[in-house]
Amino acid sequence: MAFKSALEIVNGVAKITLSGELDAAAAPAFRTDVEKAAAAKVKAVALLMKDLEYMASAGLRALVFAKQKMGTQTTIYMISLQENVKETITMTGFQNSVTFMDEYDAATIEGA
Amino acid sequence: MEPLTVPGTLDSLTIIGQYVNAAAAAAGLDKKIAYRLRLAVDEIATNIIVHGYEEAGRAGDVLVRAALDQATLTITLEDTAIPYDPRNRLRPEHIDRPIEDRPIGGLGVYLTTESVDRFEYEYVGNRNRNIIIMNRPKGAGSPATG
Repeated sequence: MAFKSALEIVNGVAKITLSGELDAAAAPAFRTDVEKAAAAKVKAVALLMKDLEYMASAGLRALVFAKQKMGTQTTIYMISLQENVKETITMTGFQNSVTFMDEYDAATIEGA
Repeated sequence: MEPLTVPGTLDSLTIIGQYVNAAAAAAGLDKKIAYRLRLAVDEIATNIIVHGYEEAGRAGDVLVRAALDQATLTITLEDTAIPYDPRNRLRPEHIDRPIEDRPIGGLGVYLTTESVDRFEYEYVGNRNRNIIIMNRPKGAGSPATG
């Protein structure tokens, strides 16, 4: 399935909905949304990943970029990840730098 | 399976992924293992295309070949970029550091070697040859077809 990234900013949180397959060819679209979120100086980034079926390291590099651009005070939430995608993130140690969440919890994310 | 030859551009990653998924299904790999195999091949193909061809200002193809035997599925990728052995950069030293302190890069090869049962490299006849091997589940080995 073709990759899609959609950004909306709600209550100071960048919600990026990802779907399809995020490989190196698709990563620039994701990175564009990450850059927009960084420019908007959001307090948190919520990646809605329920329909993201595949993610290569190019997707992880966009996250490294996000963290470096936004600074440590910006929390990155990964919501409703598929098991295989989660395994990749865990394999690279990224789970120490992001917060996994089963469902979007507005009180926690937007209230932070 | 017939080998696949695609242009060395990022647009080819999708068709490479489809080829690997079909090979994994033919080998009887379960979904989790098939995903890891696809990830490994995708990362190696991406490195070939980005570093071997695009950044080096070279054009070339990527050949992908799947071979099945009773015990294993072997995916071989060949390219005509300058010789490069990915095993020279295995585990990035920074893997345990917070992501904001990391250099960008080195993750792809790490994911490859962590995801597969065996990874080999050789340079033969002016071609890089990356070889990725997955063990098949016991009992899946119907007569070899590839």
